[in-house]
Amino acid sequence: MFTQNPQTVGIDELTGTYVFDLRTCNRTLAFNRFFWNMIRPEFRQAFLEDEESALTAAGLSDEEKRLVRARDWLGIVQYGVNFFVLEKWARVVKRTNLEVYAIMRGETLEAFMQTRAVPHAT
Amino acid sequence: MARIIGGIGTSHVPTIGVAYDKGRQADPVWAPLFEGYKPVAKWLAEKKPDVLLFFYNDHASTMFFDLYPTFALGIGERFPIADEGAGLRNLPDIRGNVDFQAHIGESLVNDEFDMAFFQDRPIDHGIASPLPLLWPHDPDWPGIVVPIAINVLQYPLPTGRRCYRLGQAVRRAVESYPEDLSVVIVGTGGLSHQIHGERAGYNDTDWDMKFLEMLRDTPEDLLDLKHADYVRLGGAESVEQIMWLAMRGALPTHLTEVHRNYYLMTTTAMTVVAYEESGPEQHTRSDAVAQVEA
Repeated sequence: MFTQNPQTVGIDELTGTYVFDLRTCNRTLAFNRFFWNMIRPEFRQAFLEDEESALTAAGLSDEEKRLVRARDWLGIVQYGVNFFVLEKWARVVKRTNLEVYAIMRGETLEAFMQTRAVPHAT
Repeated sequence: MARIIGGIGTSHVPTIGVAYDKGRQADPVWAPLFEGYKPVAKWLAEKKPDVLLFFYNDHASTMFFDLYPTFALGIGERFPIADEGAGLRNLPDIRGNVDFQAHIGESLVNDEFDMAFFQDRPIDHGIASPLPLLWPHDPDWPGIVVPIAINVLQYPLPTGRRCYRLGQAVRRAVESYPEDLSVVIVGTGGLSHQIHGERAGYNDTDWDMKFLEMLRDTPEDLLDLKHADYVRLGGAESVEQIMWLAMRGALPTHLTEVHRNYYLMTTTAMTVVAYEESGPEQHTRSDAVAQVEA
């Protein structure tokens, strides 16, 4: 039976915000671990040398593999991956956080930066 | 006796570390950030604390979700700075002091804060982003760090009130250590920002200013805020501000801000504030004002 954490009531009503909690993590631990492993040079090298083998070795499901192949940043977050492991993989595939934020908002980097206080920042 | 001589609240944005490592201190885009830390670094150089005690969060670098503690205290004479996917940074290992860290741990557990402890693990940008802006590091750091990691990644997070009380317990722990160490308490994270989902890029400077005012003057009025309130008011990842509440809990009732810098460049309201106990004259004045208002 699902019980609601009183501290997080209302977060789901904020459009575009996803609670990463124990239930989510329990469902997605292997997927989160795949991204987390990118803090290790040997995992980065294995991924860059043979992406498909790395996805299989991580035990990812077909849906999870599809999200990685598609570089579907928003889909990965919606699936239940914590951004702080996802950003480690962003370094490996040479995406800046600003680029990832823009993609998640459905904007080009240029359009996203025009919404920022210092649009020419890098 | 060890004593707390002040506090610092600081953001821990990882790109601060990247900009620092690339030598962009004078770049017009970054200068308002780096210049804003100089008065705090100068204040620390004058006060010469032996210890920076950090309330910070790990970003799944020291620990992973297969075992993710709510509160974790690091024990060690040295902590390497973590590789977070982009390789190692050219910074010396963070220095520690096992006797002092162990005392803090024992005092907290005996005071009913049942900490987890980590040893021989790297520490990530939760500390390493702001640390070189606060302390010099050539050839080595001038003091030691006590790292206290707070879970702000995987709900359930500790409540704001619990973090504030942890800060109060840390004050008791510091003041029960017999050696004359001077300690500055640092809380990292925030202020307003959201970096996941379609709502990424959310900020609210008015709320940030209100938070800073309440944190300094009426922190107990913040303690009933739920995590959802922080998420709504300042963006999902601004819930990190519960670590500023932990810092505030370790500080005395009456505070003066000796420095504040606020720079919202792209997505995070990058902020640094330094606090000292306000002098007896200011105490008298504020007490008098309180009496008049009563």
